[in-house]
Amino acid sequence: MANYNVPSELRYSENHEWVRDMGGNRYRTGITDYAAQHIGDVTYVELPEVGSEVDKESVDCTIETVKSSEDIFNQIAGHIAVVNDALQETPEIINSDCYGDGWLYDIKADSDDDFTSLMTAEEYEKFLSEQEN
Amino acid sequence: MNKTPLFEKHVALGATMGDFGGWNMPLWYKTGQIAEHKATRENCGIFDICHMGEFIVTGKDSFAFWQKVLTNNVANIVDGQAQYNFMLNEKGGVIDDCIVYRFNDEKWMLVVNAGTQLGDYEWLKKNASGDVRIKNISDNTGKLDLQGPTAPKLIAELAGREAIEELKFFRFADNVMIGGIKVLVSRTGYTGEIGFELYCDINETAKLWDILIEKGAKYGITPAGLGARDTLRLEAGLPLSGSEVGPDVPAVGTPWEFAISYDHEFIGKAALEANKGKLFVYAIEIEGRRKPGHHSKVVLNGTEIGDVTSEILAVTLGMKPAGFIRVNKELGMDTEISVVNPKGQSFKAFVKENPMVKGTSRKKMSSML
Repeated sequence: MANYNVPSELRYSENHEWVRDMGGNRYRTGITDYAAQHIGDVTYVELPEVGSEVDKESVDCTIETVKSSEDIFNQIAGHIAVVNDALQETPEIINSDCYGDGWLYDIKADSDDDFTSLMTAEEYEKFLSEQEN
Repeated sequence: MNKTPLFEKHVALGATMGDFGGWNMPLWYKTGQIAEHKATRENCGIFDICHMGEFIVTGKDSFAFWQKVLTNNVANIVDGQAQYNFMLNEKGGVIDDCIVYRFNDEKWMLVVNAGTQLGDYEWLKKNASGDVRIKNISDNTGKLDLQGPTAPKLIAELAGREAIEELKFFRFADNVMIGGIKVLVSRTGYTGEIGFELYCDINETAKLWDILIEKGAKYGITPAGLGARDTLRLEAGLPLSGSEVGPDVPAVGTPWEFAISYDHEFIGKAALEANKGKLFVYAIEIEGRRKPGHHSKVVLNGTEIGDVTSEILAVTLGMKPAGFIRVNKELGMDTEISVVNPKGQSFKAFVKENPMVKGTSRKKMSSML
């Protein structure tokens, strides 16, 4: 299996989004190393509006590459607290730093249930190795 | 899934692998698709194309066979020359696009796409009669594409200048020795740049790859994946079998009319003549910086007239969204159309001349050495 970076402190979805607990019911989301490698060079990101209401599994963000367009499935129900404006001018930071500067947006969550229902790093790594085979 | 002899090398280079026509192929390497695309336009890209299919056709009736199953007229090519063709069904739909190579009147090679290879082979066998023998050599044949303005210098260094200096566009040289490997060097490609499609024994492919990578370093050689191959071919105005042309659509009104020669009888000809003026394929450029997305429709003055068949960001044109459309109406250059995606978002687009990028493919070889 190819090598993918899977930080232990994050939670993960089957659609290869990651979620970070920022404290105070606030959660940050982005795409995983696996996803960043598989979608290729990111050229444009359509971000949700700050303040908008989002549901679990709703599509509020789209990442475009030279060839395709990828829907991001939101993992935490709540409201958009802030979006990563740097992506407007330099969307390629998703490829270079998907867990850091290449984050997508923060959500103010309705509860912490959605977060704890996501895969742990260990579970996600297992999911990846199953998917690769 | 099938793997080429270079699979381990791609993985070691950090390639992202994906399924293409039943083959596990590199989509891009660590460098990324945009860098690979630029490297091919500016220097030289090397592509593993071992997944494509090759058939050797021999026999006294080969010529008549090609005239029947291919759209171009093989009477127009001489020994050592290759020709772009469509293979049509009775409905005029494109079973595959392909290149026929003429060694001599009784020995030819046909190079076809990966996913269509087995179907093509069955179709050819079904339509062969008389003294025609078709041998599928795909499993024994390796193929590397070396494309870009520095490719001739690299091959000249490895094979000797005399091996290629007289090689014109769509000509080939057989039994060229490169690092002790026997190679068929074909001055063809799928990028719009000058370069070669190199055919060799499947067991020698990894060695040939290593030689080209090592000796190509000073010419800026860059391994490039199928992602860059797609953006390069679209900029160069070339169709993808199954997208711009396909089995369910008569091959009329396309920018690739040069592949069809109506001066002889071939399978599908009557259907093409019956459908002339009903369908048109055009290159388009889209305003803004976004692609509309897959399954978008083409709208003219409020009426839906067709589909977008491919879309990319044209790297060479400063990341401009571009693509091909198939419509039921003849459109002039620069006609404004709307492209509407499944979400209902509308994008302004314009019909453009094909190809949108003119590369070095037809340059005089001696000027590139």
